[in-house]
Amino acid sequence: MMPGFVLFLISSLTLATVYALVALALNFEAGVDGLWDLGVVSFFAAGAYAYAILTVGPPDQMQVYRLGFGLPLWIGVIGAAGAGTLVAYLIGRASLHLKHVYYLITTFAFAEVIREVLTNERWLTNGTAGMYRMAQPFKSSFETNLYPLVLLLVMVAILVVVFIALNRVTKRPFGRALNALRENEDLAATAGMAPYRYHLRSAMIAGAVAGIAGACYVWFNTVIVPQQFTSSITFVAWTVIVVGGLGNNRGAVLGAFLLILTEDVLRLFDLSSTVAVRVASARVAVIGLILMAVLRWRPRGVLPEKRPRFSRSEALVPAEAPAQGLQQVGSGE
Amino acid sequence: MLETREVSKHFGGVKAVNGVSLMVEEYAIVGLIGPNGAGKTTLFSVISGALSLTSGRVSFEGADISGHRPWEIAEKGVVRTFQTPRGFPRMSVLENMLVFASERTTGFWKNLLAGGRLSAEERRNISRADEILSSVGLLDRRNVLVEELSAGELKLLEFARPLMAKPKMLLLDEPAAGVNPALLEHVVTYITQLRNNGLTFFIVDHNLGFIMDICDHLYVMADGELICSGAPDAVACDPNVIESYIGTKTETTV
Ligand SMILES: Nc1ncnc2c1ncn2[C@@H]1O[C@H](COP(=O)(O)OP(=O)(O)OP(=O)(O)O)[C@@H](O)[C@H]1O
Ligand SMILES: [Mg+2]
Repeated sequence: MMPGFVLFLISSLTLATVYALVALALNFEAGVDGLWDLGVVSFFAAGAYAYAILTVGPPDQMQVYRLGFGLPLWIGVIGAAGAGTLVAYLIGRASLHLKHVYYLITTFAFAEVIREVLTNERWLTNGTAGMYRMAQPFKSSFETNLYPLVLLLVMVAILVVVFIALNRVTKRPFGRALNALRENEDLAATAGMAPYRYHLRSAMIAGAVAGIAGACYVWFNTVIVPQQFTSSITFVAWTVIVVGGLGNNRGAVLGAFLLILTEDVLRLFDLSSTVAVRVASARVAVIGLILMAVLRWRPRGVLPEKRPRFSRSEALVPAEAPAQGLQQVGSGE
Repeated sequence: MLETREVSKHFGGVKAVNGVSLMVEEYAIVGLIGPNGAGKTTLFSVISGALSLTSGRVSFEGADISGHRPWEIAEKGVVRTFQTPRGFPRMSVLENMLVFASERTTGFWKNLLAGGRLSAEERRNISRADEILSSVGLLDRRNVLVEELSAGELKLLEFARPLMAKPKMLLLDEPAAGVNPALLEHVVTYITQLRNNGLTFFIVDHNLGFIMDICDHLYVMADGELICSGAPDAVACDPNVIESYIGTKTETTV
C-alpha cells in the first residue's frame, strides 16, 4: 500500500495536470492570440461529456440516460477533442466576426447555457445524478493500489505531447500571426490576414485541447456530474495563465502546478468541519494573494512571454528569386 | 492604377472626405498634402478598406474594390501604413517584418507537422527582412522589441514592414514625420529606387520639402475636398495651396 500522503500527492498532481491542459488551451486563444474567453469551461465540459457518453456502458435501473456506447477509450478521447472543437466553432462562428467583446460575452453566456443543458437533458447526461463507473486507461492491467500512479503517468504523457504540439505551433509562423493579431489587429489585416479565420482556428485549437482535458478530468473523478463544470474552472484557468505568464506555454503549466498544489496543501490538515469552512475560504484568499503578489512584482507573470531571437547566420540561405525591388538595396552608403 | 471617383466619407455631419476623384498612375510617386483635418488619412482608410465609404467608388487595376475588406485589398497589392505607428509592440522588429512576408508560412497543420527548426521559406523571409532593415538603418535593432523603439525608428519600421509583402502600391501616411533629416535623404533614395523597380507610391506628408523632392504629381486637399493638383512646382505656387497652408498651419510651410 502507498501511504496516504503519497496518494494525496499523486491525486493533487493528477488534478494539476488536468488544469495544466485547460490552462494551455486558454493560453493559446487568450495569450498567444488575444481572445478573451470567459467560458473555457464549456469546451472542457463538452469534452468530458462526449468522452463519458461515448465510453460509458448502458444505464442500470437507477439511471435515465439513453445513450452509452461503451466504445473504446481512445475513441472517447478523440470524441472529446472533437466535441470541444465543435463548441468552439459554434461560439466562434456566432461571435468572432464581431468585436472581441462579443466573444467574451458569448463564451461567458454559453458556459451557463451548457450547464443548464447538462443538468436538464437527463436522457443524455443523467442530470444531476450524473454518470459513474467511467472507463479509465489501462485500469485492468495494474493493481488497484498502484493505479493512481499509472493514471498520473498517462496524463503527464498526454500533457507532454499537447505541450510540445502547442509550443511548436506557438513558436512558428502560425503562432506569430496570432501574436500579431493580438498586438494590433488593424495592422495585421493590412498584411492580408483575415482576422476571423485565424481567431476561429485558435478558438478551435483551444476547444480541442480543453476537450481532451475534459476526458482526463473524467478519468480523474470516475464520475461526471454537471456541478463539476462551474465557471470557477474558467477563473482558475485564467488565474493560472496570468500567474504563469500570459502567452507563455511553460508559464501555463508551471502556473497550474503552482496553484493547484498550493491549494491542495491547505487541505492537508485534517480539520473539524467548522475549521474546514474557514480554511476553504482561506484557500480562495491564498490564491488571491498569489495573484496580487505576481501582478505587483511580476506583472507579466512568473515566466513572461519571450520573443525568439534570430541570429543572422540562420538566414544565410540566399533568396531563391530575389524580390524585384531589393537587388540594389544593400548598396546604400 | 488606382482611381477614386466621387469618394465621400461622412462621420455624422462631418464631411471628412467629400467627392474626391483622383488617380494614381502605375510606377508614379504621387503626393497628397493639405492642412490638418483635411481628410487625407480618412481617404487612405477608405481606399484601404479600413473605413466603409459613404458614397463613390474606388478601383484598383480596373477592378472595383470599394467596400472590400482590408485584407482583401492588401492581397490585391495595396498596402497602407499608419500615421501614428504602433506596430506589433511586444514583438521584435524582425518578427514585425516576418508577419508581412509575402511567402506565407502560417498553415496550422504545416506548422505542427513540419520538422526542423526553421523552414527554408522562413529563412528566405528572414534574409529578405534583413536586407530591407539594413536599407532603412534598422538592422542592428532587429531583435529589439518594437515597444522599445524611438518614434523615428518606429516610423522607419512602418515604412519598411509592408515592403515584405511585395505590394504593388504603397499608401504612406506621413512617412517623414519624426525621421531625422540624414536618414530621410536615404529614405528618399530608397523610395525612388523601389519605384524604379516597379512599385507605385501614394504619399501623404506635411514635410513639403520631402514631398516636392520625391513626387511626380501632387494633390491638395482641404476640408475634405480636392482643391487642386498638378506637378509639384506648379502646385506650390497656386494661391489656393499657399492660403490653405498659411491659413491654418504655419510650421510645416517650406
Ligand atoms: N473616426 C472618426 N469619427 C469622426 N470624425 C473623424 C473620424 N476620423 C476623422 N474624423 C474627422 O475627419 C476630418 C479629417 O480627418 P483626417 O484624420 O482624415 O485628416 P488628415 O488630413 O489626415 O489630418 P492630419 O494632417 O492632422 O493627419 C477631421 O475633421 C477629423 O476630426
Ligand atoms: Mg492624417
